[in-house]
Amino acid sequence: MAHKVSMTVNGVTRESEVEPRTLLVHHIREGLGLTGTHIGCDTSQCGACTIIMNGKAVKSCTVLAVQADGADIMTIEGLAKDGQLHPIQEGFWEEHGLQCGFCTPGMIMSAYDLLQRNASPSEAEIRHAIDGNLCRCTGYQHIVKSIQWAANKMASAPAGDD
Amino acid sequence: MSAKVDEFTVVGKAVKRIEGDRKVTGAMRYVDDLSLPGMLSGRLVTSIYAHAEIVSIDASAALQVPGVIAVYTGKDVHPSGPEPDNRTGHMLARDKVIYYGQAVAVVLGVNEAAAAEGAALVEVEYRQLPAVVDPLEAMKPDAPVIRKKANAGVWADGADHGAVVAGDDIDISRLPDNITNAVRFTRGDIEAGFAEADAIVERTYTTHWVHQSYIETHGSLAAPDALGNLTIYTTTQGQFGARNGTAGVLGIPQNKIKLVGMEVGGGFGGKGIMLEPLAGWCALRHNAPVKIIMTRSEELSMGNPAPGSVIDIKIGAKADGTITAIQSRMVFDSGCYPGTPVGIAAMMAGGYYKTPNLSLLGYEVLTNKPGNGAYRAPGAPQATFAIEQAVDELAGKLGIDPVAFRLHNCSVEGDPQPTGAPWPRIGLKEILETIKEHPLWKNRHEHGKAVGVAIGGWPGGVEPCAANIRVNTDGSMLLTLGSTDITGTNTVMAMIAAEVFGMPLEKVKVQTGDTDTAPYAGFSGGSKVTYTVGPAVQRAAEDARQQVMAIAASELEASPDDLEIVDGVCRVKGAPDREISIAAIAQKSMTFGGKYEPVYGIGKSAVTDRAPGFSGQIAAVSVDEDTGQVKIEQYVTVQDVGRQLNPAMVEGQVIGGTAQAIGWGLWESMHYADDGQLITSTLMDYNVPKSEQIPPIETVILEIPAPAGPFGAKGIGEPPIIPGAAAIANAVAAATGKRVTAMPLTAERVSNALHNGQG
Repeated sequence: MAHKVSMTVNGVTRESEVEPRTLLVHHIREGLGLTGTHIGCDTSQCGACTIIMNGKAVKSCTVLAVQADGADIMTIEGLAKDGQLHPIQEGFWEEHGLQCGFCTPGMIMSAYDLLQRNASPSEAEIRHAIDGNLCRCTGYQHIVKSIQWAANKMASAPAGDD
Repeated sequence: MSAKVDEFTVVGKAVKRIEGDRKVTGAMRYVDDLSLPGMLSGRLVTSIYAHAEIVSIDASAALQVPGVIAVYTGKDVHPSGPEPDNRTGHMLARDKVIYYGQAVAVVLGVNEAAAAEGAALVEVEYRQLPAVVDPLEAMKPDAPVIRKKANAGVWADGADHGAVVAGDDIDISRLPDNITNAVRFTRGDIEAGFAEADAIVERTYTTHWVHQSYIETHGSLAAPDALGNLTIYTTTQGQFGARNGTAGVLGIPQNKIKLVGMEVGGGFGGKGIMLEPLAGWCALRHNAPVKIIMTRSEELSMGNPAPGSVIDIKIGAKADGTITAIQSRMVFDSGCYPGTPVGIAAMMAGGYYKTPNLSLLGYEVLTNKPGNGAYRAPGAPQATFAIEQAVDELAGKLGIDPVAFRLHNCSVEGDPQPTGAPWPRIGLKEILETIKEHPLWKNRHEHGKAVGVAIGGWPGGVEPCAANIRVNTDGSMLLTLGSTDITGTNTVMAMIAAEVFGMPLEKVKVQTGDTDTAPYAGFSGGSKVTYTVGPAVQRAAEDARQQVMAIAASELEASPDDLEIVDGVCRVKGAPDREISIAAIAQKSMTFGGKYEPVYGIGKSAVTDRAPGFSGQIAAVSVDEDTGQVKIEQYVTVQDVGRQLNPAMVEGQVIGGTAQAIGWGLWESMHYADDGQLITSTLMDYNVPKSEQIPPIETVILEIPAPAGPFGAKGIGEPPIIPGAAAIANAVAAATGKRVTAMPLTAERVSNALHNGQG
């Protein structure tokens, strides 16, 4: 039985019919065509599917699409505004916080969640915040630097609506 | 003598990756992001036993699921003849399964959910057979046989990584069926060498299977095209190899398959060819696009992890620290298909240090595990874990500083490798000298930390390749390659092209073409892309530049020797008013009635001189005496990279590789039960290191130029994974006085070493 769901995704209201078993990540990728949110495991370990739901980072493979009915969701595609990269996106590019890029969207979403709560995190706080996001390429060091870069940039030039 | 980096405008700068914006915005497309009209999804049915006959497969319930289109088994895809004896060809098991997680059927559905539901309902009846999991058991004449002797001596994955191995031939036909390859290297008189020794260390080291654990699992999308050919979109590090392998399995000409290499979400050697033949078979059968993506559990159980090994080492030295003999027997666990890097392992174990007497014997043995695959410096981390602990212990026995001991014995240019061929110029000695002076090592008695050191090397890969360059009528450039962009290689190629041609970097576009349009390049692995594709790009850029200069010379009525390219303009030196833009030149070469041939630069390379890369690592650890938990307090990686073309990317590679080495050393192993069932079949059980587990890593980069490398560069990807586990083990020995001879050094093993005497 399909269920009607409505959610705001990257500022746009999206109404869909989903099966009860559909995971939010599958709905985002296949139903809404937003493939920047990735899938890397079956057991909620890797964090590649991390999105922002109602202001908090969640692994979208742990949420059923029907549970997100009425939710406000931001995926990686919704982070840049008016063609301008968000400072976290800039930071990952500037500081080589990415290699293969597969973990990057989820990693950026977790960083977004952190910097909302803590504008100037320590290295330990950054490492703790992304501990649920696996990266196999970088050894995390440049990711930490990327998030520090973003924190510095956001502190020196506060973004309007972020 | 290579030019100094300062003389370059692009090379040597830490420029951003050219594809970075797509990766930070979610716009980059990986294979699972693709969807085609009418596309079917495939889901695998996998074996619950490691060794069993397939009695029957009942798909009737699966076929009742709404949306399930078809179920195919080994009898469909391998209708006749013997069951394939190699991973590429063995799309589905037919008569018997030979490892846990092997695919026995594929369910096609209109979407993934339907296919998955169908797959869960396929009933497979098995008759279980005794499984053999331990390679030492599998070598015995009475062990369960995976497959009667055939296909011996296949070096598939080692060859992908371009290692050079030779040695005495050993007739394996008389050895038990599960032994599928054997190598031997000898020099001098091994017994005489040990007789001369004042101290000897003899131990057995064990390493376990480790998964590459790229975050993107394997996946392929195959689609028949308008002409009846097959287009395959896939995640592979080697698109030509994947195409050729698929064509061979499906029995169709290579030019009937266009393979489109998608962005690879991590590979580390593990992504060669996997699902392409099966997806292609299904697509042809249904005349419809078919996508198959592995789940993580499938990836862990049927992907192709790095092989485990059991390595005996005996090494002797005189009281003055001179090594007199190195003897080793290495057993590599091949899993169910032949093809291990045991030859590379032997070359490394017997090659780092000078020794007059050498005896190395390597075996490759089949077991009921998935076929092993290439993983970053295949064979070298295993060998290095053994030899670098043995050397360390031997230095200790002789009361010699372990770094001084290594410096006394380390191979330098001209010293023989186990094959007898001399080492080319290598940076091993310089790395050791750097370690000797590094405060973490030098001041260890003052700062009191438990510090261990190890070195490791990689012979370096080579393979012929080509590249081409077009200059567009707006003055921009298109560089086309056949090599998959992993680790930012396309960014480096753009930098090389821009530097050589004299073009601003932002005007260079790089594409990896598909197998129909790209010039040839091999597997992006073995640390050979920059080293071998780089020279092809250099030549293509030189070629295009010469063509541009020739047109400019004609237009400006000047000698090409008097011309220079500055800021996208070709001009006569010393006469700035006599100039013509690159754009204008390109226009004149691509216009109706034009008199110049189009600017089209071609570069090819067949580099045969290898540039081995070495890494040395210093680990400082603390060990919890009660639990055996090892904590890394400080970590340094020293690496010779030849020449840094992009320092930020070099550092990223070295840190990333070192992090993987730490994973091997402390946490990672595929655990198989006695019956062959994989225990670590999810990322809950298999420990891919997390951000809080990996310490900050200090890098020290040395630049000893490689004569054949672009601007002196050599491969950098493999070396950092090699010595880490040994450095950690040596640090644990420094901390505890105990040797842990099995990798990884889990708390359990270290605790056993502390409290029960042996790890």
